[in-house]
Amino acid sequence: MNLPLNAEEPRIMHIDLNSCFATVEQQARPRLRGRPVAVTNRKSRHAAVIIAASYEAKAAGIKVGMRTDEAMLLEPGLIIVETDPPKYHYVYQRLVGIMRSYSPDVVMKSIDEGIIDFHSTSSINKQSLKDIGMEIKERLKREVGIWMRCNIGIAPNRFLAKQAASLHKPDGLDTISHSNLRAVLKTLRLTDLTGIAICNQARLNAVGIYTPLQFLDASADDLRRRVFHSVCGEDWYKRLRGWEVDNYDSITKTVGRQYVLEDVRLSEQDVDSRLSYLCETTGLKLRSRNLCARGLYVYARYTSGDFWYERRMFKTTFYSTAEIYRRALLLFNNRPKDSYIQEIGVTCYGLELSHNNQISLLDEVNHEVWLTQAMDCVNEKYGESTLIYATSFPSRDIIKQKVPFGSTRYFELLCQS
Amino acid sequence: MEDVTLVNKYVNILAYYFKDKERPKCFPKRMEYGGRQVTFSETGLRHPTRKGQRMVHVFDMSDGEADYRLEFDAEVLSWKLIYIADVFHELAA
Repeated sequence: MNLPLNAEEPRIMHIDLNSCFATVEQQARPRLRGRPVAVTNRKSRHAAVIIAASYEAKAAGIKVGMRTDEAMLLEPGLIIVETDPPKYHYVYQRLVGIMRSYSPDVVMKSIDEGIIDFHSTSSINKQSLKDIGMEIKERLKREVGIWMRCNIGIAPNRFLAKQAASLHKPDGLDTISHSNLRAVLKTLRLTDLTGIAICNQARLNAVGIYTPLQFLDASADDLRRRVFHSVCGEDWYKRLRGWEVDNYDSITKTVGRQYVLEDVRLSEQDVDSRLSYLCETTGLKLRSRNLCARGLYVYARYTSGDFWYERRMFKTTFYSTAEIYRRALLLFNNRPKDSYIQEIGVTCYGLELSHNNQISLLDEVNHEVWLTQAMDCVNEKYGESTLIYATSFPSRDIIKQKVPFGSTRYFELLCQS
Repeated sequence: MEDVTLVNKYVNILAYYFKDKERPKCFPKRMEYGGRQVTFSETGLRHPTRKGQRMVHVFDMSDGEADYRLEFDAEVLSWKLIYIADVFHELAA
């Protein structure tokens, strides 16, 4: 394979909200503006990690993924706020609305970043993409709030557009095309490239590639055979040259939920209650997509560092909360009990389209289906978790809804109060 | 760490309603709470949120000294003060 740089006019725009959750909090609460703010899923000094930090906090050395107690040591004036998903959902919706007003080809990569493909609207849009980018920044401030800022990158493919969006944070607007690609790559390190972290850097270093420019100049054959040992090498070869390889749709293969226990010394009954609540959410997700599962995977992580899991493929499909919990408990009871549990998780796999409209010959199965449908109706009308199983009840006010990173598939569903 | 006082009580609000270019807008101007009046100077963010099938509008307001979260239930036209953040304790007492 021998491809030139893609000389097409850049028509992919990547939009990335700066420190999204922290910025939205600063927008919502004017007194937080200009102060170091960290957003966490749980307001606890020990068990919580920071999922977003404002630029003022980042300047003090606070990073995403840092524990809150470590962050407080670095910046005693740090203001820690808990996540508020409906707020982020609103900003997400406004961002999607703004993006869709320019092109129907909009793909949201996560809650705070998305891509506009201008290929289908190039004959309608008379403005240059740079002008559109400036307009989007202005509209975001006007329609959401004056504190909102975003990075915008324009390039011939998604990878380079994302790279362009990360060149001048915050509030950047950059274009990468075949004419300036080498100049841009010259200023970067390997780990500045999206998708190249320490492991991939080591793989590249092992064959004498130390800079993005050397990466660009490597042959497809070398990348495939010597570096990545798979078709990923060819993908990187194309990606770096501006050819599109990342426009695929992903399919839902698993549905699940995890939880880090708020206290490692919980009683067995409390741990079961947390598990039951995780099964409630998992069931809700399954049913919202009209799916049922055949396989179940349960895991526990211990304070000792040990990890235990058990998975089983069942003969019959399931989708109701009671059935997920019953099967999960069946597996969970096999866990070793000689150490404290720190984290638990439930995942359904072997997904297929639900066939709950088929009335069963067995009365007990029908009763469970009707009960689940009735409970879902009540919860839809009066709000999530209005009606839940007694086993889950003690956990209802403890396990809070997390902000979904990555996929925004369940965002609508999970943002209900 | 900031100081957040949970209130979750119905309050009296004087609000302005005006029509912007696209849609009607609401600005809660004054609130009566705990025997004193709070005059808001800025809306941080207004966002709708679902409570079952009901739609509740959440207003994050500021009077320059503290941040207030208000919820407006458009079905029964009631205002609720949810919390006051970074504020004097005597106000919440």
